[in-house]
Amino acid sequence: MRLLWWTLAVVSVSLTSIILSENRTLDPLQNLSLTITAPLENGLRDLAEPVSDFFQGLFNRGDLVRENERLRQELERLRAQAAATEDTERRLQDLEEALGVKKGQPDSEFVIADVIAQDPSGFKRALAINRGSKDGLDEGMVVLSKSGSLVGTVSLVYDEFSWLRLVSDPSSAVNIAVLTGDEQGSEPRGVATGDLRIGLSLELLPTGAQIAEGDLVTTSGLGGNYPSALLLGSVKSVEEKPQALSKRATLEPAADLSSLDTVLIIINFRPARLSGP
Amino acid sequence: MKYLFAFAGSFFAVVLAASVMPYVKVLGVAPDLVLIFAACWAMIRGQREAMVVVPVAGLLRDLTTSDPVGTSVLALSPIVLLAVVRELRPLESDFLPALAVVATASLAYAVISMTVLTAAGEDVPWGTALLQVALPSMLVNSLFAVIVYPPMRWLSPRPKVESFGVGSAVRL
Repeated sequence: MRLLWWTLAVVSVSLTSIILSENRTLDPLQNLSLTITAPLENGLRDLAEPVSDFFQGLFNRGDLVRENERLRQELERLRAQAAATEDTERRLQDLEEALGVKKGQPDSEFVIADVIAQDPSGFKRALAINRGSKDGLDEGMVVLSKSGSLVGTVSLVYDEFSWLRLVSDPSSAVNIAVLTGDEQGSEPRGVATGDLRIGLSLELLPTGAQIAEGDLVTTSGLGGNYPSALLLGSVKSVEEKPQALSKRATLEPAADLSSLDTVLIIINFRPARLSGP
Repeated sequence: MKYLFAFAGSFFAVVLAASVMPYVKVLGVAPDLVLIFAACWAMIRGQREAMVVVPVAGLLRDLTTSDPVGTSVLALSPIVLLAVVRELRPLESDFLPALAVVATASLAYAVISMTVLTAAGEDVPWGTALLQVALPSMLVNSLFAVIVYPPMRWLSPRPKVESFGVGSAVRL
């Protein structure tokens, strides 16, 4: 009988808490708990790097892993530069021809944040950062790696902390363009969606699109939730199915999403979902 | 005092789960230290204490994740029901039933979490999540319970013998 009462009490309290949490009533409590645990988690994350090296280095030496990481960051930076240049040139040409050049577009304004924790749930890909609404953050804002590639959006904002939803989260969908590098300058459009198994997949690509491994993938800007020409990654493999209505591919993210320590949040770009009427 | 230890242990497990454990991935999943701690406590100390420790551990975990508060409390609660295995004593040893409880609790945790997240409007790919997260979690959490259970068992106070002879009672 005691167990029955206990079960009823726990289920009632839990469901009430979930409803209150969804209404954002418990945000101050969650902000307070992150304030208490953040310094500890931050310190432990630094200590965890050797642990990570150990687990990654079961088959590779730790120094090779670090070297690989450094080279990957360098490659990511260069690719971001290349993608931005290529895309800017194309768009500049279009604008000059059709609309004229719009000068004086202000540079993006960023807030720099440190990653303090990862969501331990296996069903999400989310990170906690040490910036919140007091720093001008709002839900839906776009988040970049320190090398400038897209890593996700702000999904929950408290006063001093926020949660980011990574592009690899199953709830994430980004309108993208593939820079195929062919002579016609075609940019097949599609959607990059998060996947628990493979990380990122490209969907709804035109069946006739000539996409090859290594092609750079950037945001297309369609939908207004992301600025255009942000590097997301490169095509890892292409799924060829002659009868399919659209083409699919997998994407290698430019940033190593599992080891982000610093991120940049664009605060002067208002995503369409935030702008409203 | 024992609940103070339980609180400290849960807090430590929660902090480790959000900081270090994401780096310790086996079969693509990180071991759930909070679940392992709560399940081991329930199997070592019994259902009565689990009724307090499990909600506390769940609440602490809820406050440091992006899930709605209450999700972990609800998802960990089957541990208390599963702790009945301890009283049934299907085997001479407590160790193997404890591992079975950890594995079952991992699956229950996954299913309840996914249900709550789906109800909250999150996009949860059930098939992939069950195959890629829930099932590996059962194995990985059980493997880590092999490391966590013995020291917790050793640190737990020995049973007090209240009387001797026929009908002797042992109170934990």
